[in-house]
Amino acid sequence: MTNATVNDWTFRAEGVTKKFGEFPANDGITLQVRPGEVYGLLGPNGAGKTTLVKQVIGLLKPTSGSLTLGSYDLVEDPDAARQLCSYLPQAQMPIDSFKAHQVMALTGMIRGGDPETVRRRSGEMIEALDIGEWRDTLGAKLSGGIKRLVGFAMVTVWPGRVVILDEPTNDVDPRRRRLLWEQIRRLGDGGASVFLVTHNVLEAEKSVDRLAIISEGRLIAEGTPSSLKSQDRGRMRLQLMVVPGRATPEMPAFVHDHTRVGNNVMATIGEVDSAHAIGWAQELMGLGEAEEYALAATTLEDVYIRMTGHTSEEVGVEVPA
Amino acid sequence: MTAGPAAVTAPITIRSGAGHWLRSYVMMTRWELGSLRMLLPLVVAIQVVIGGGFAVGVGLLSDQMPTRAVLYLSTGVAVVTLITVGLVMSPQLVANHKTAGTYDFMWSLPVPRTTQAAAWVTVNSVIALPGMVAALLIANWRYDLPLQVSVSILPAVLLTIVTATMVGYAFAHAIRKPMITQLITTLVSFVILGFAPINFPPENLPGWLADLNLYLPFYHMAVVMRGGLTEGLVTDVGISYLVLGVYTVASVAVAAWVVGRRD
Repeated sequence: MTNATVNDWTFRAEGVTKKFGEFPANDGITLQVRPGEVYGLLGPNGAGKTTLVKQVIGLLKPTSGSLTLGSYDLVEDPDAARQLCSYLPQAQMPIDSFKAHQVMALTGMIRGGDPETVRRRSGEMIEALDIGEWRDTLGAKLSGGIKRLVGFAMVTVWPGRVVILDEPTNDVDPRRRRLLWEQIRRLGDGGASVFLVTHNVLEAEKSVDRLAIISEGRLIAEGTPSSLKSQDRGRMRLQLMVVPGRATPEMPAFVHDHTRVGNNVMATIGEVDSAHAIGWAQELMGLGEAEEYALAATTLEDVYIRMTGHTSEEVGVEVPA
Repeated sequence: MTAGPAAVTAPITIRSGAGHWLRSYVMMTRWELGSLRMLLPLVVAIQVVIGGGFAVGVGLLSDQMPTRAVLYLSTGVAVVTLITVGLVMSPQLVANHKTAGTYDFMWSLPVPRTTQAAAWVTVNSVIALPGMVAALLIANWRYDLPLQVSVSILPAVLLTIVTATMVGYAFAHAIRKPMITQLITTLVSFVILGFAPINFPPENLPGWLADLNLYLPFYHMAVVMRGGLTEGLVTDVGISYLVLGVYTVASVAVAAWVVGRRD
């Protein structure tokens, strides 16, 4: 197909499998991202998210399956993949010797932008992310969070049709995180398909149009945050803060499932059992086993825990068999 | 906040052709030189000190060195400077990218990968040439050498630096673990210094090793360089150009293959 006929910029992954030896890091992943969509890829560490996006940008080659953007075969034509897709990797960017605004403009020009436009856009990005204070600071002197924001600006100052952001908010302070999410949203509004790799479920819930949950290389759920949460309709989350050093209390029959991260036990219960749950929690506090509790509607995090067996924090998790 | 990132600006047509290659090469050279901006003066200074130091050190071997021997050693130092920068320094800088985790970003940039390799040749030239020139100037001043620089030094330097850089570049990209790369390049530089007839004539080596060197590029690099720097010190320069030319083409082809392949 000639380039001039390209008018459908939908990104499609069809049955993408990537094996390292016999180990399938991705196992038959099929998904679509439309232009303008912010699409979240959620999953615990080692689930295969980064492996998938590295294949999109041409850093890895699928063992089988196809990756296309409109009429472009991204697997067969990695040069096109790199021109059509912008990529912010999870690791830090090689910017130690550059001033923030210089490296944004230089990357924009490498991405095909004209000098005047990329300089103007670099200035706009610096303002939008509120990092003007560090405009002329060398990368080596920037904090991790500011480096992350400069990295984001570098890959989006002249964005591709697909923008892949691997954990873009890592190390970014809460106020600028909001500004960053605003800009991610704007990328979608500008017509890019945004691939957002994260394990921060709560942030993703607020910002993505659709998301996929990946676990052990497989796509195990896909939909809008609301549609995924609807599977947990009628359920509540009981959060118990166990006294440090105490074992997890024995769960009553009305608890569907529970996880423990540190001293924080999260149990899923039916709405109808709310009163029982409060009574039980108060009893535990009376016995000196728990310090406090909270009852709330389930979030995407609960869906994620149920599906993957991990919390998004991914440390010290105790998941019942 | 009103300002924000651009609307989608990626091209409808995929850029290709000589113009795209040249523009990408210029951009990547700017990137690589910019990346080394803080280190570059130091690295160049060290190369100058090493080259000049070797040249001065030659005189310490003996105070009765024949001119031919001094000429051999001094021009050998110039060759070793070019080879070691290509074979040792560029793999170490690529290894740094891998260790720092910045390799993926560099490899995701929308430029022909050969432009990244070409930018490295340019950077290596910037690093290596001052050291080479310093070695020759100091040797010339110290020993009053009969150097006769001809225009053939240009292709000689080009072939030597391209081949050394491309071999080092291919090593660095092909080997996954940076530490293994560094061990191999250290070993290679040791072998070159000790067992390739660069600082001494091939007759000084055991016959089989001298023969083996006829099939390796290092001896021929020394011959073509000496051909451009001296008169009558080396013969059969044409054959050396031929062998080195084959190595240059092969190393560029291997490097292009290595950087183009995907796991």
